[in-house]
Amino acid sequence: MIWKIARKEIKETLREGRFRIAGVIVLALLSIAVVISYNYYNYVQDQHAQASTNTRNLWTSQDEKNPHSAAHYGTYAFKPKSPLSLIDQGVDKFTGISIFLEAHRRNEAQFIAAADQTGLARFGDLTPDFILLFIIPLLIILMGYNSFGKERENGTLKLLQSQGVPPGKVALGKWLGLYMPILFLTAGLFLSAGLMLALTPNFGMFSWTALLLMTLVYLIYYGVFANLTLIISAWAKSGGIALVLLLSIWIITCLATPKAASNFADALYPYPTRQEFMADVSEDRKKGLDGHNPWNKEAKLLEKETLEEYGVDSIHQLPFNFDGYRMQKGEEHEAEVYFKHYQLLKDQFNQQSHFYSMSAAVSPYLPTRFLSMAIARTDYGLHWDFADAAERYRLKMMEALNMDFAENSAYGNWAYKADQSLWEGIPDFSYTPPTIGQIAVRHLSNFLLLATWLVISFLGLFWITRKL
Amino acid sequence: MIQARNLSKNYNDKEAVKNLNLNIKPGDIFCLLGANGAGKTTTINLFLNFIQPSGGEALINGLNVSQNPTKSKQYLAYLPENLQLYPNLTGIENLDYFSGLAGKSYDQSELTQFLKTTGLQESAHGEYVKRYSKGMRQKVGIAIALAKGAKALLLDEPTSGLDPKAANEFGAILRQLSEDGVAILMATHDLFRAKETGTDIGIMRDGVLVEQLKPQDIGHADLEKLYLTHMN
Repeated sequence: MIWKIARKEIKETLREGRFRIAGVIVLALLSIAVVISYNYYNYVQDQHAQASTNTRNLWTSQDEKNPHSAAHYGTYAFKPKSPLSLIDQGVDKFTGISIFLEAHRRNEAQFIAAADQTGLARFGDLTPDFILLFIIPLLIILMGYNSFGKERENGTLKLLQSQGVPPGKVALGKWLGLYMPILFLTAGLFLSAGLMLALTPNFGMFSWTALLLMTLVYLIYYGVFANLTLIISAWAKSGGIALVLLLSIWIITCLATPKAASNFADALYPYPTRQEFMADVSEDRKKGLDGHNPWNKEAKLLEKETLEEYGVDSIHQLPFNFDGYRMQKGEEHEAEVYFKHYQLLKDQFNQQSHFYSMSAAVSPYLPTRFLSMAIARTDYGLHWDFADAAERYRLKMMEALNMDFAENSAYGNWAYKADQSLWEGIPDFSYTPPTIGQIAVRHLSNFLLLATWLVISFLGLFWITRKL
Repeated sequence: MIQARNLSKNYNDKEAVKNLNLNIKPGDIFCLLGANGAGKTTTINLFLNFIQPSGGEALINGLNVSQNPTKSKQYLAYLPENLQLYPNLTGIENLDYFSGLAGKSYDQSELTQFLKTTGLQESAHGEYVKRYSKGMRQKVGIAIALAKGAKALLLDEPTSGLDPKAANEFGAILRQLSEDGVAILMATHDLFRAKETGTDIGIMRDGVLVEQLKPQDIGHADLEKLYLTHMN
């Protein structure tokens, strides 16, 4: 009985002009978005591969030089582009794709794509995630707003009831009738994207599991919208009222709440300005050891402690070059300072994220957005993870360079030069993003929120249709 | 088959149906006349269990419809005043859908036969219902009742808006159903059709069944006079 109702709903939908037109528009937009995204991905991926190779070559082909000079010469860590960014580019365009790694400084990511665009970028890009998050819910509303209204107007609702069909079965049949075309559309899209990614040689670490999980997230999201649409359709006196109410819900859910949540989160847990941040870092750096300045108080203290530890009277008697050792200790102090201040930023970010998660109580869009970006590995969490990995690599690199200087030269011998073997001995930066399992665990609360939306909206649907 | 025992329905202070007693047997066509708001549609809705009675009981095939909402519906079919059906389905698809929901499964030839029985021309069977006239839609509605094999038929002003030819055809179908043993309760304003088709006529006023008579006991003019008396 439920399937019979669902099949009838689908047949009617497919025969209605508005669905055919809307469906063609959505498919056309999706195709364009996927092609644009695919081309952009390939462009970035090519650039990434070229830049990585060039940077490594530049690093390993350095002439003989002092290791600390090489530390200042620096190199780059490149953030790998996730294959699923084809579907959801997340914050990739705003976070930058590479970090310059050099002595004494933890730099922020550079080459922010949004900064390279004109003011027109303010209007946003046509991307698959835009269609998935905003347009398909609109399509669901368009397909289902009059689902119960037209039955009332056409007299078929009473005819249905007179056939002895329980209201719950009518609701479930209608839900399936509304959901199935969206299910096929979404599954088709994700399957095409998956095949495209799997068959393209340079698409990196593609995982069907991640794609499946992302598909599931969107299907739950659409399930919630299907429920909301049918609830309003059953509750409203006419199709027109239902449409207005549903569009209002769409605006509040998809447009207003995310922006309001962002403003509130920023007001409640503000980030320091770049100037404040740099001033605080600079202040703390000054309080500690400066590896380049042998005359500052901390350098003198380090010298005294080192002499005592090795039981010698002069730094010339130390079994290593104290300059290199001091450089390394200075680097460690600076790393602590950066760690402290970046941790403060992360704490604020976590507070903001928590506030966002709470806002999901009024918008299923928010957990979906977070989960989609996280699974695509294009969210801020991934960026932080990459930046931390780059910083860990920088510290190990600096340690290798400073200690080579310390262990292979005498104090005051700034003319010491290391050769290519040292540069080649430092492994290339390699970043392994969190596994899909780790991401799922990290975002368990968002999964639960989305699942709660689905369950509650289903209960709401059965409650409102219990007496049609 | 269709019984009301002291059936009442109140809306706040207003008594929409007051102590209604009816007993429509298989083969009877009970035509319920009355002004707008007299309680005809409320009576039908009570038999359909769309609303709950304030007192008394409505029975279909001996089953109290409030206590047996699903089972009692197995025996009845309903035709509302302005049945639009599903405009983007054909007549035969509409019939297949509703009979399927009633738990019946028919092949194409059987469905075609039901539609033919109601007099719906065969060329229209495969057309979208949005192109149907009201009379054609009513015929599909009757076909739905036939396909369901309903023993009780509830009709809410089914001939309003039909042209005389269509209304006449509709009356003929009802008489055929009556001969087949179906009990029919029809709310209507159509005095002529009630007298021509009905086996019993009742007149409701302010929720009360004020008159009950046999059509052969009264002429057209007297029936109209009686009806108008209760309109005031």
